[in-house]
Amino acid sequence: MENASQRDGAREYGDAGQYLQAARVNMRQVKRMLSQPSAETADESAALLRDIEVQLGCVAAILRQNGSKPDAGIRSGIEELQSEVAVLAAFFAGADQMLCGWLDTVRARRGGYTERGQAAPLTLVRKLSVEG
Amino acid sequence: MGNLFAVLSSAGQSIQAFEQAIDVTQNNVTNANSPGYAEQVPQLISQDYDSITGAQSGGVEEVTKDTRNAYADTAVQQQLSLQGMYQQLQTTLTPLETVFDVSSNSPIPSALNQLFQSFSEWSTQPSSTSYQAAVIDAAQQTASAFQQAAVQLGQIQTSVNNNIQSTVTQINQDAAAIQSYNVAMSQNSQPNAGLSAQLENTLENLSSLANIQVLQGNGGMVTVMLGGQTDLVEGTQVNAIQAVNNIASTNGNPGAAPTIGIEDSNGNDITSQITTGGLAGLLSVSNTLLPSLIGGGQQVGGLNTLAQSLADSVNAVLEQGSTTDTPPYQAGSALFTYNASTPAGIAGTLAVSSTITGSQLAAADAGPPFVANGAALTLAGLDSSTPGPVEGQGFTQYFASLTSSVGNAVNNANTQATAQSQLVAQAQSLQQQVSGVSLDEEAIRLVQLQTSYQAASKVVTVVDDTLQSLLAMIPT
Repeated sequence: MENASQRDGAREYGDAGQYLQAARVNMRQVKRMLSQPSAETADESAALLRDIEVQLGCVAAILRQNGSKPDAGIRSGIEELQSEVAVLAAFFAGADQMLCGWLDTVRARRGGYTERGQAAPLTLVRKLSVEG
Repeated sequence: MGNLFAVLSSAGQSIQAFEQAIDVTQNNVTNANSPGYAEQVPQLISQDYDSITGAQSGGVEEVTKDTRNAYADTAVQQQLSLQGMYQQLQTTLTPLETVFDVSSNSPIPSALNQLFQSFSEWSTQPSSTSYQAAVIDAAQQTASAFQQAAVQLGQIQTSVNNNIQSTVTQINQDAAAIQSYNVAMSQNSQPNAGLSAQLENTLENLSSLANIQVLQGNGGMVTVMLGGQTDLVEGTQVNAIQAVNNIASTNGNPGAAPTIGIEDSNGNDITSQITTGGLAGLLSVSNTLLPSLIGGGQQVGGLNTLAQSLADSVNAVLEQGSTTDTPPYQAGSALFTYNASTPAGIAGTLAVSSTITGSQLAAADAGPPFVANGAALTLAGLDSSTPGPVEGQGFTQYFASLTSSVGNAVNNANTQATAQSQLVAQAQSLQQQVSGVSLDEEAIRLVQLQTSYQAASKVVTVVDDTLQSLLAMIPT
């Protein structure tokens, strides 16, 4: 028999499974977006990841409200998300490494090397064009 | 009149140049979807005016410039090489999960469970012939499960080694194709977009097999280096590699499979230079993971350690026990046999002694104090004793740790292969985006992308932490 505060909690937060499902949908969207490399899609992915963070926060709040009890469905949902997050983390680590190497090459081709043998830092100068 | 001819000649050259430019554009459209094709940009360059002859006045000359960005190509090749390795690991490791399956239905844990169950039942009625027969039957099932696992692992090892040979053959074939390209380039004075596309395609295929570095040489020829140190293709010369059995690797470990080495055309060992690509994945399974399980090189292998430990522990208890309840006490016989001269082949030779009968199983512990079912009880509790008999762990627990190492390797390969597929798509998409843009534009785009990714990556870390906390909140 649920008590008043549990009913209030359910009304306020909804179902943990629904939030997990929403987080999974967002995660699929993030993976789709990241196949197109651009600063815009990366920013939108970060926004979606923040949504996922909020949704998981809601799941945590519901679990705290309802008390800890074994739930195979929720657990497998979280584990599934965890493996997708692991893929994303591996992706971002790899992408960072790739972009760092790429930028170093561009920097070296653009500005040569420093005295310490590192690629010269990139200095972007405002361009002024005079016509007439 | 001389000037008029000069003007006409110049105009004719200009028209020719524009026609060539149109051809290049048409070629770009035709090859838009050709693998490895890079857009060719026609560049029209003003010619100097010759005031004496009047020739080339204001004319144009067409020079085709390949817009391929060398680093973009390298980035794609590097990502393909990593993808090749993880995909190969994924494919090669998956069959191992059928041998190292933690579920109680898989042969070894199931047989171990049945064996210790049979010891337990026998300890309740040591003289029962049916319980004695059940112990021998369970021991036979256990030996058979180990033999079956050894055969399966041997088949996987053979398949991996065959794959290494075929991958080396593919690498040499790709090297020969690149050498043909170099020969063609040495005979062509102008860049050839078709040849260039074929080369790029071959280099990408080669990258998925091994880590290569490509150096552009004179006249458009390329030098391909394996692992950054070994010349695979140098101008018009191919230095083929080969896979060899490293027989010396098994010195002091009879029965073990030799490790596989890769040698350059001079017979030098270059195995350590192969760090990514499908070949690196195969070498890591063949020379590291499989030997840790079934033995190879200098390793005995976890499965053999487990089989030997089980046989020795059970035999020791039986041989110290007694088959009789009253003096003179009669020592029991060993239940298991194996070929001790080949430590890396113990799992495959584990068997139940062909001469043993139920009455030769020693259930009693002669003591003092004498316990009628003491040996049987010791055997029943062997798997859960502390410290355990196999490197401090129980038999089931030790098998679970082997399963866990295989499971982790498979899981890691799956995660990395999925992430790597996305990274290859990224690198290929960036390769298309940066072709032809200035270095400044390219740098700005890369910095923006890197900053955005770093921001997203931080949120991923937070999400991961949240998921960990959530899992901790749900009791199993």
